[in-house]
Amino acid sequence: MAWVSSAEAQRFVEVVNATVNSIQNQGKFDCQANALQLEAAEMTVSGETIRWMVGKEVEITTKGDVYGRQWDQHSFETVLDQVLEREYQKNLIYQAIQEGCAAPRDISQKVGLNLRQISYLLADMEKTNMVEFKGMEACKPVFAAL
Amino acid sequence: MAEFEPKIAAFLCNWCAYAGADLAGVSRLQYPPNMRTVRVMCSGRIDPLFIIKAFKEGCDGALVAG
Repeated sequence: MAWVSSAEAQRFVEVVNATVNSIQNQGKFDCQANALQLEAAEMTVSGETIRWMVGKEVEITTKGDVYGRQWDQHSFETVLDQVLEREYQKNLIYQAIQEGCAAPRDISQKVGLNLRQISYLLADMEKTNMVEFKGMEACKPVFAAL
Repeated sequence: MAEFEPKIAAFLCNWCAYAGADLAGVSRLQYPPNMRTVRVMCSGRIDPLFIIKAFKEGCDGALVAG
């Protein structure tokens, strides 16, 4: 993200050059390999949590929250990041279950989160009816996406 | 092998960056042709979904300039 005024042609050229160089160094983006992550990110940014949080930002950072506590921009954004990260991880798990990884261990291998975190998030997702516990299969807990 | 030519989705604000890009063209300043420009009426119009969509459609990068 860059700011370029209408009079700053030179600045625009610099920004474009820097962007192209940076992406050339990072290499090609493989959207097939990252399909799961993209899907989870899309769910996160189109979900209602981000809208609630962003919608409350100005009120909370200027007037304070309902408990009368003051929040500065930085601390609000830290909380927002944490909330979104958790939301993203839940969506990642949801996508993995939809792809057919039913047991926490398979999900862990697919998305790269540790087992403890996955169990914790799955319990939370059960409460909000994102996933359903189907029972045990060969000593493994099995979940289904709703 | 030829150097990797990335595809970059560039979202440019009509009033600033887009006019800046236009001026760069008029002033004959050279810049790489990897940008696929999308003109928006304000950079506040950009939804993070646009950027994810760009990556999903096979872009290697995204630039939002306002």
